[in-house]
Amino acid sequence: MTSDTRNTINIVISGVGGQGVLTLAEILAKTALACNLNVRVGEIHGMAQRGGHVVCTVRIGPNAYGPIIDNGTADILVGFEPVETLREIATIKPSGIVLLSTHVQYPVAVSMGKSQYPSHKEILSEIRKFTSNIYEIDAMKFAKDAGSSRSLNMVMLGAIIGTGLTPLSKDAAIEAVSKAFSKRFESINTKAVESGYTIISNAIA
Amino acid sequence: MTKPKELLDDSKGTVKLLLANEAIARGVVEAGVRLVALYPGTPSSEIGNNLTFMAPHIPNFYFEFSTNEKVALEVAGAAAVAGVRSMMVCKGPGLNVAADPFFSLAYVGVRGGMVIVVADDPSMWSSQNENDSRYYALMGNIPMIEPADPAEAKSLLLEAYTLSEKLELPVLFRTTTRVNHTRAPVEFGAIPELPEKIEFKKEPFRFVPIPAVARKRHPWLLEQIEKAREISETSSLNFTEGSGNLGIITSGVSFNYVREALQSLELDAEILKLGITHPVPEEMIKSFLAKHKRVLIVEELEPFLETHARRIAQREEISVEILGKEQGYFSRTFEYSPRIVIEALAKIINRNTGINWDAIDDMEKDLPDLPPRPPLLCAGCPHRATYYAIRTATRGKAIYPSDIGCYTLSIAPPLETADILFDMGSSITTACGLSQVTDQDIVCTIGDSTFFASGLPGIVNAVYNHHPISIVVLDNRTTAMTGHQPHPGTGVTGMQEEVKPTDIADVCIGLGVQYVKVINPFNSIPNLVKEVREMVSWTKENNAPAVLISKAPCALLTAAERRRTGDYPAKYFVDSDVCNACKRCLNRLSCPAMYLNPDTGKAVIDETLCNLCGTCVAVCPQGAIKQEDA
Repeated sequence: MTSDTRNTINIVISGVGGQGVLTLAEILAKTALACNLNVRVGEIHGMAQRGGHVVCTVRIGPNAYGPIIDNGTADILVGFEPVETLREIATIKPSGIVLLSTHVQYPVAVSMGKSQYPSHKEILSEIRKFTSNIYEIDAMKFAKDAGSSRSLNMVMLGAIIGTGLTPLSKDAAIEAVSKAFSKRFESINTKAVESGYTIISNAIA
Repeated sequence: MTKPKELLDDSKGTVKLLLANEAIARGVVEAGVRLVALYPGTPSSEIGNNLTFMAPHIPNFYFEFSTNEKVALEVAGAAAVAGVRSMMVCKGPGLNVAADPFFSLAYVGVRGGMVIVVADDPSMWSSQNENDSRYYALMGNIPMIEPADPAEAKSLLLEAYTLSEKLELPVLFRTTTRVNHTRAPVEFGAIPELPEKIEFKKEPFRFVPIPAVARKRHPWLLEQIEKAREISETSSLNFTEGSGNLGIITSGVSFNYVREALQSLELDAEILKLGITHPVPEEMIKSFLAKHKRVLIVEELEPFLETHARRIAQREEISVEILGKEQGYFSRTFEYSPRIVIEALAKIINRNTGINWDAIDDMEKDLPDLPPRPPLLCAGCPHRATYYAIRTATRGKAIYPSDIGCYTLSIAPPLETADILFDMGSSITTACGLSQVTDQDIVCTIGDSTFFASGLPGIVNAVYNHHPISIVVLDNRTTAMTGHQPHPGTGVTGMQEEVKPTDIADVCIGLGVQYVKVINPFNSIPNLVKEVREMVSWTKENNAPAVLISKAPCALLTAAERRRTGDYPAKYFVDSDVCNACKRCLNRLSCPAMYLNPDTGKAVIDETLCNLCGTCVAVCPQGAIKQEDA
């Protein structure tokens, strides 16, 4: 028996304020709505946004009523940064998938020498205690290749669809993206979504 | 990100993904509300952020950012007394500010429908307390409605106006963060036309509660709340769902968690979901309690419904086991989740939770200590420069009363310039109190929006009672923390009109402050340090308050302006040949755009994060931080 996840796909998105976590969650939910699916997004605004740790939840399926994803119930954990991925690792199901953007943003406490940033190896081995399904993505590189470092969240959007765990199609996601932003960014965003999708769908296939 | 104009879409039946706050803004239009007044406060902020851009496009509609919540409630209350539909919006602590008119308004009542939206914040995501505003309904005898999700945020809002007009009373519409900040599909309804201006019909012996009037109004109010109870008994907002031996009474966001918990455990129970939580439907609860041997009460924060249930059970001599916070099944702190309900249910029915949460919690505890990433002042924030100067000038030894805004983040190392805080405006008044019982230097800081909201009485107090305090107004030209709303000093109104800005220096001079200076914190850090020193000495010598206005736009506004114009100053960089790795820049500024290169031990500026303020240049004793040639 699993907790309330029958027919529901639970996605936790973790990152740093300013990285586009909220935007990704909203686009994902708009894609779900366009596919006539029930959806809930949980966001935290205000104080939590100022360069601090940010978590959003997206829940897709008929039995999603509230926004919260408890520990051990996430199907996908999307991490925009290695430490921020590890910070939310307890949300993942043992069978869940972790999508980890490898680009590091050092917290100020690390720069001030008050805290240590764990090694990449340690981060991965800690994640593995919760699930063995980890996919690392150099999303910053793909975003820059697509035309802007700010499209990192779109790379992650493509990666989420690429897992095949959601009932969403890549085309619907790209359409939701193009509706949400100005035409100026359309080719960058589409390229970013495509690259995230390709790398993950190939890795999983 | 749903654009404010989308909320004006006149196509009935359209389904859009909306934040509950956006659904409430849409509800304002569908309910034919004529006036909304508010002071922004998270988690309610997006209601005003949308209405301000919708307002100019709605004929006969008026929206304002009032100077504070008390003002907003009075503005909106008067409109409803006059006879049109109105709304006031605030966060939980905002209702405390508006408490005075709140109680009087219940006595005099309203002619047009009025809704007071109050957004509580269990877990205190962005608030200084998690006080449970439901007790205001009880204490003020004001009916209360609680939506569970974004769809109800709109549909129940429309019901709230009908109820308000039936009873001639304002209705408290109480939400919590996980309602306000949840996005879900919401179906649009029709938009009615709004009335033109109306005539205020005088009725002083109702609307002026001198004692002789108030003595008549209090019994009237109690009669109205009894009528409200009768409505509550048969309202479709209070309903039961499912069936089973176990009964569960719940309201608001907890209803979702109850539904998910029951599905997860594959457990049958009858749920009594209350949409009207004051007055509670006494008869309905009575028969619900009588029908079940055990009734679980699921509600965040205080045992509000639980106390009602116990009261009714006692009065009606019903033999029922009421399970809630009093036996420790639930906590009075922090928000709930499906897990919390599942664990309580599992304990009650003696079942397994399905997921071994204890094991997951243990694994989580065994994770290595991760570097914390708390919210910080943004890269390029003018407050960082000002606090750096305040701290340097006073060598960290003064007392630093703080206030409510982004700048409260200066509590964190290395700035550490927040020592005491109660509420909006308390920086100045706590400084007054401290100045009379210590000989320490006192430098308090208050933001521009907070200055207008609640700072003025404190300034007058400091002048009148000659308190030797240094007041630094951090004027970043906006209400930054809640999402950049205008205020009287910005020259923009809630209707998006341009007006003459109220000048903070003029206000201080007008209030009798003898020492008033305005400075741009980015001009010269050494000069800013000198100014703070001079101000502190002046207050001691003259035994009077002094005001320094540190004026520069919020870094996010500056960044947006640069993106719009494409006009950027030259980039800053650390010259690694000159840098001697002393780390002073990192240790004194904690700028998110600077980090330590682990290989060289020297500071680096991340140019994707840098907002080009140049504060770090003055902090480096080696002169290693430089600006590229333009």
